[in-house]
Amino acid sequence: MKTIFLISAGALLLATTACTKNAADRLSDDESRIYITNHDETAAFTSYSTFSIADSVALIDNNQFTKRERTPFDAQLIDAFVAQMQQKGYTRVAANANPDLGITVNRVYNDYSGLINYGDYWNYYGGYWDPYYWGYPGYSYYYPSFYGVYTITDGAIQADMVDLKNAASSNKLKVIWDGMIRGAGTFDQSKIDQNVSALFTQSDYLKTNQ
Amino acid sequence: MRQKSYLYTLLAAFLLTGSLLHAQQGEMKATISYAPAMPVGSFKDHINKTSLNGWNANLQYGISDKFSIGGGVGFNDFYKKYPRQIYKTGEGSDISAVLTNSVQVIPVTVNARYHFMPESKVQPYAGINIGANIIMYEELLGEYSNDSKSTVGFTGSPVAGVFIPFSKTGLTGIDLGAAYNYMPFKYGDINGLDNLSVRLGISFPLRN
Repeated sequence: MKTIFLISAGALLLATTACTKNAADRLSDDESRIYITNHDETAAFTSYSTFSIADSVALIDNNQFTKRERTPFDAQLIDAFVAQMQQKGYTRVAANANPDLGITVNRVYNDYSGLINYGDYWNYYGGYWDPYYWGYPGYSYYYPSFYGVYTITDGAIQADMVDLKNAASSNKLKVIWDGMIRGAGTFDQSKIDQNVSALFTQSDYLKTNQ
Repeated sequence: MRQKSYLYTLLAAFLLTGSLLHAQQGEMKATISYAPAMPVGSFKDHINKTSLNGWNANLQYGISDKFSIGGGVGFNDFYKKYPRQIYKTGEGSDISAVLTNSVQVIPVTVNARYHFMPESKVQPYAGINIGANIIMYEELLGEYSNDSKSTVGFTGSPVAGVFIPFSKTGLTGIDLGAAYNYMPFKYGDINGLDNLSVRLGISFPLRN
């Protein structure tokens, strides 16, 4: 009888522990997503008026540039960034029309894990784009010093905004804004507008006076 | 020293009282309870939601009819998610996320109980559980772990309740009780996991 009780008590404990949902499993897809933005606080976002955006999306797999693509998903993603920038008052121009800002969008896939260390949440994905793309061959990308490198566990959409207006005078392609979308539903086409909008909603400094 | 002799006197009194009654003395009794728990004190600032996933299993051996000792193991799952907010995480850095705090505790204790009226239809008791507490804490931003800590701490719980036997002299019956679970745990800005639990259980004798 005692053995039966001990086995039952052990089984009960194991069952309750095992049946306890992982905290992350109790979230809906919308709740599971996070939106991360970084910006250079010294940048005068109001001083820029035009932007250009790359017409394809770079695929970065385990920190290796794989290829550029323009699937229907990618096209809608790029359009969503364009719409948000226009809502903020910026004007889209061609890459060869001296844009003030350059935007690249990436799909990032990584296999390894790590805790979020938001003090160091930054990446160099924009660096996978050849500076030649912006008409500055030989230039290096520059990331503000307070940003660190971070590794991610799964797929993410990531975008960089580069200061082209001051590239020639500063001799570098300074990334002044970065946005990242992670979590369930990141690659759900029906969520693209909602996801990209979230990045811009929390970046209220992104606006132009020009 | 004075306190120690007081305890010895109390224990002797229990044993003496027990020798006059024979309903529970020498019997091993098991109780399995559903035990939801409500965070109290500073723990409530982190998780203010009652854990409905709480269980407890106890074994009590009757030293006398009025005094029993034993051991137990429990489980509680505390969980709270906060609506999406934007958190400033550094110079120029923002993260928009649903923040979740999750705490699971597994207290493993030794128990002592004093049974006030061991032969009545409703048998009140009071006692204490003391032991180790296995703690698993996690904070998530969205689905991503932002911080976590697993450790073993101390736990101490004054308990009070009533045992309602199904028959007049029986050891099988319903056990209703409450406990204040003192669970120290210091990590980040968390300072304690104290909670108040109620227990609805069934007790039955274990006889070989």
